[in-house]
Amino acid sequence: MDVAAMTTNDWLGVFFVLVAAFGMVAVYVMVFRPANKATFESQRSMALDDEDPINMGEKR
Amino acid sequence: MEATQATPVKYDMEVVRWFTIAAAIYAVVGTLVGVYIASELAFPFLNFDIPYITFGRLRPLHTNAVIFAFGGCVLMATGFYMVQRTGATKLWSNGLAWFTFWGWNLIIVLAVITLPLGMSEGKEYAELPWIVDILIAVVWLSFGLNHIMTVAIRKTSHIYVSNWFTMAMIVMITYLHVVNSLAIPVSLTNSYSIFSGVQDAMVQWWWGHNAVGFYLTGGFLGIMYYFVPKQSGRPVFSYRLSVLHFWALTFGYVWLGAHHLQYTALPDWTGSLGAAVSLAMIIPSWGGAMNGMMTLSGAWDKLRTDYILRFLVVSLAFYAMSTFEGPVMSIKTVNALSHYTDWTVGHVHSGALGWMAMVAYGAMYHMVKKLWGVEKMYSDSLVNVHFWLATIGTVVYVVAMWVSGIMQGLMWRDYDEYGTLTYTFVESVSAMHPYYAMRAAGGLIFNIGTIIALFNIVMTVRQASALRSSGAVPAKA
Repeated sequence: MDVAAMTTNDWLGVFFVLVAAFGMVAVYVMVFRPANKATFESQRSMALDDEDPINMGEKR
Repeated sequence: MEATQATPVKYDMEVVRWFTIAAAIYAVVGTLVGVYIASELAFPFLNFDIPYITFGRLRPLHTNAVIFAFGGCVLMATGFYMVQRTGATKLWSNGLAWFTFWGWNLIIVLAVITLPLGMSEGKEYAELPWIVDILIAVVWLSFGLNHIMTVAIRKTSHIYVSNWFTMAMIVMITYLHVVNSLAIPVSLTNSYSIFSGVQDAMVQWWWGHNAVGFYLTGGFLGIMYYFVPKQSGRPVFSYRLSVLHFWALTFGYVWLGAHHLQYTALPDWTGSLGAAVSLAMIIPSWGGAMNGMMTLSGAWDKLRTDYILRFLVVSLAFYAMSTFEGPVMSIKTVNALSHYTDWTVGHVHSGALGWMAMVAYGAMYHMVKKLWGVEKMYSDSLVNVHFWLATIGTVVYVVAMWVSGIMQGLMWRDYDEYGTLTYTFVESVSAMHPYYAMRAAGGLIFNIGTIIALFNIVMTVRQASALRSSGAVPAKA
């Protein structure tokens, strides 16, 4: 690799690739860490919690 | 939900109702234009030598109508619906939501006027004139600001994964749309892209594929993660997997665009990078599809009687299929056969009809019942009829395009012992005729389904309104 020939755009590209790659690793570690399982899975049923009828303030 | 529900939340759902009805109408119009242009390819006399209705002008009208009119209205309806319900709060600004509704519809009207007149920037899925592009950015940002601020004022501590998908879509589509639309205007309706040559092509497909990735995939995955649990009455199979699905797609999708430009002037490595990341995306995509399907664990029997759930589950099957097919087509060896053929058209429609439209209708039927406070649709049997028409129409369309696409690819590359091409291009066009007719028939079947859906939704709304005006208490939602 010719480091001297790297342009600003090339370095920016390298920077973003590394940020994305390390970011992905961090997400995998966070998601699969056994200690975090209960915290994540406690939100499983969040979509089911809003079963109240929709109140739009109109006369029913 | 952590919020206490002692006082019922008053939601801003009128705008969601309007977006939902608009989506049902645009689905009919958009697919009807699609059927017409598909018929033009099979029976060219249908052009009637009228420039305004030729394939070249109606094709962008079809794509804009189904992606931005139908798809956009579905995304905005569900986006505003989910963020209020999961946040136990009303919208940050109801007035801004109405601005978004009327602004978005104005853009659609402008598309209907400009595209048949031949005013086009010539960029796929970004054909509209520069002045409309500015309007799109303003209206889209009004949707984004309202959604994000509603998340900020939520009464719950957690931000549900569906809202993350919607917010990622909002941020990325703003960025992609603005950069891809950068142009030097020369008149009110004409402009030239600031990019040129291969850079222009790269930026175009960076936009083009990410419109698929963040708008048609990410946005609709948000819908899937809310409405599959709601309709099945089951919690998400794995919330951890949904978080991983979100971040993997968000980090990964932006790299794929170059796979649209294999064997072009673009440096070879960029296409290879696009293909490699495309293949890597199979893992989170299939993880997400399995997550959606496994949500039905213990409730599979509901598929026998719940026709809305059928839409949602079949959409996941098409999502899994499309997210496998796409990466395979991006591999250079396969791309050498598939590119520029109807196989690509088949792939796009298995995603657009099978995944996007199916999950959209599942969500729309669910919302219509909740928004108008009824227990059932006007006719559940018609929902079932629509489901089968949509499924059969999609399969007929996609199979026709697979066969014609592979046949095209094989005919174009075939040569004899002297190195001469075996077939002329016209011979390959002629060989496509039966498949083009079959494609038009598949599209027509799908289109009839959308008309039935519109009728059913309108009748459900009328029935609910009649109940309310007669003083009878409508069924509890």
